[in-house]
Amino acid sequence: MSDLIRKKTKSKKKIAALIFLFIVVFCSVFFAARGTFNPGPADKTAMAILSPFQRGFSWVGSQLTFLKDSVIEIKNFHSQNKLLREEVELLRAQNLTASEFASENQRLRALLGYKQVATQFDLVAASVIGREADTWSSVIVINRGTLDGVADNMAVVTEMGLVGHISEAGLNSSKVQLILDPRSSVGTLIQRPESRVAGIVEGSINNPHQPRMVNIPKNSDVQVEDMVVTSGFGGVYPKGIVVGKIKEIHNDEGGLLKYGIMETSVNFDKLEDVAVIVASREAPPEPLQPPPQVPGTETDPYETAQKIQEAQMIQQQAQEQVQQAQQQQIQQAQQQAQQLQQNSAGGVAP
Amino acid sequence: MKMVVSWTIIIVLMYTAQTSLFTFVDYGGVSVNLMLLLMVSVAFIHGWQPGVGMGFITGMLQDLTTGGYFGCATFSYMVIGFLFGKFSVHVFKDQFFFPVLSAPLAACLHFFITLILIFLIGYRINFVYAVQTNLIPFVCFQLFLAWPVHKLVYDFDKFAKRHG
Repeated sequence: MSDLIRKKTKSKKKIAALIFLFIVVFCSVFFAARGTFNPGPADKTAMAILSPFQRGFSWVGSQLTFLKDSVIEIKNFHSQNKLLREEVELLRAQNLTASEFASENQRLRALLGYKQVATQFDLVAASVIGREADTWSSVIVINRGTLDGVADNMAVVTEMGLVGHISEAGLNSSKVQLILDPRSSVGTLIQRPESRVAGIVEGSINNPHQPRMVNIPKNSDVQVEDMVVTSGFGGVYPKGIVVGKIKEIHNDEGGLLKYGIMETSVNFDKLEDVAVIVASREAPPEPLQPPPQVPGTETDPYETAQKIQEAQMIQQQAQEQVQQAQQQQIQQAQQQAQQLQQNSAGGVAP
Repeated sequence: MKMVVSWTIIIVLMYTAQTSLFTFVDYGGVSVNLMLLLMVSVAFIHGWQPGVGMGFITGMLQDLTTGGYFGCATFSYMVIGFLFGKFSVHVFKDQFFFPVLSAPLAACLHFFITLILIFLIGYRINFVYAVQTNLIPFVCFQLFLAWPVHKLVYDFDKFAKRHG
């Protein structure tokens, strides 16, 4: 009986202790939340005891993670390889496109440079959008037409030289007859100042890449490597556009004339961007430039002006002296003439 | 004394594993809570008094080292230890089904007790969002590791009894 009572008392004590513990813990939650309860050094002690274990487990965890990642990487290797291959293909395509853009950029820059240099021309840039498949005629199609101000018989150039002329202008595209076309004829002359021989450049059906300069008098001064430019005769092509240079000179069958086989300055195989000359005017004279001075012999402008001034003064003094001498001579002559008159009036022989 | 040292080693190892090793296997920052599983297993095997004691020790350890709100884990674990310890009289010790099944239930209880305490402290929590992002992955982790932990505690208990 007494054991039962003791057990009940013990159990009641345990329950009371438990309830007390619950209340303490429950209250500590709120006190700790408000900052009025601090566990003191207990947390630091617990952390100090646990940290070596945690460090060890953390190392094991990182190794396991590394292992897991490696396994996953190997597992994903095939799909990743496939993706990378696809990416390589994509990048190759993008690289090609970028190269294409770079090439186009370079060409357009060159054309823009020519446009800025050739101020006497109003140019309309155009791209070649069509080309004939055969070589019997040399015609290309560009993406500019009458809507862009292009008209028939306008000259077409690149920064390298003459391309041809508009043979048929459409609304938004035009046909360009190249100077390689056998039907084409361009009035030209040799650029060399000593020569300036005129001739006609026409396409050759036998050699579509090398037009000929014909109608050259046999005894004229035309040499190999002479540059040929447009003469401006005929009104289609403005004067001074580079056509090419003479590579070979042959006698014509008639015997009175000769012709030159030319190498065009424009590479017609790589023709992609051109410019149409929609208007041309007289080229403005180049601004006068001071002559180049040899180092060590440069003239000082102040010194030169002083010297000029001194020379002018000397010249003025000399002129004054000459004038004085002349006046003295005139006076002496007058005096002599008066004496002679006096002597003749007095009957004295001279 | 041997029992105390053994249990201390088990608690320390499991706690360090929970806070360092198993954090590498997480889902949205949520990982397994071995202390809760250990406490539930002890409560099922030994009854409510060791359950509450284990809840106090593991909860205090957690609150002192990594706990966000001091006392939350201790109070929650003690309540759960008490409830599951009281329930253990209806379960055979060799029975694994209920202890393992009670792991997600304990997780839910722990989650709700913590929510209530945080609410009482004065914080407002998006309940639906908390359930989606915290409770569901937490329950899955607990369910996954409930059996190994219970098996460990059960075998250790048998081993301790066999060797006095």
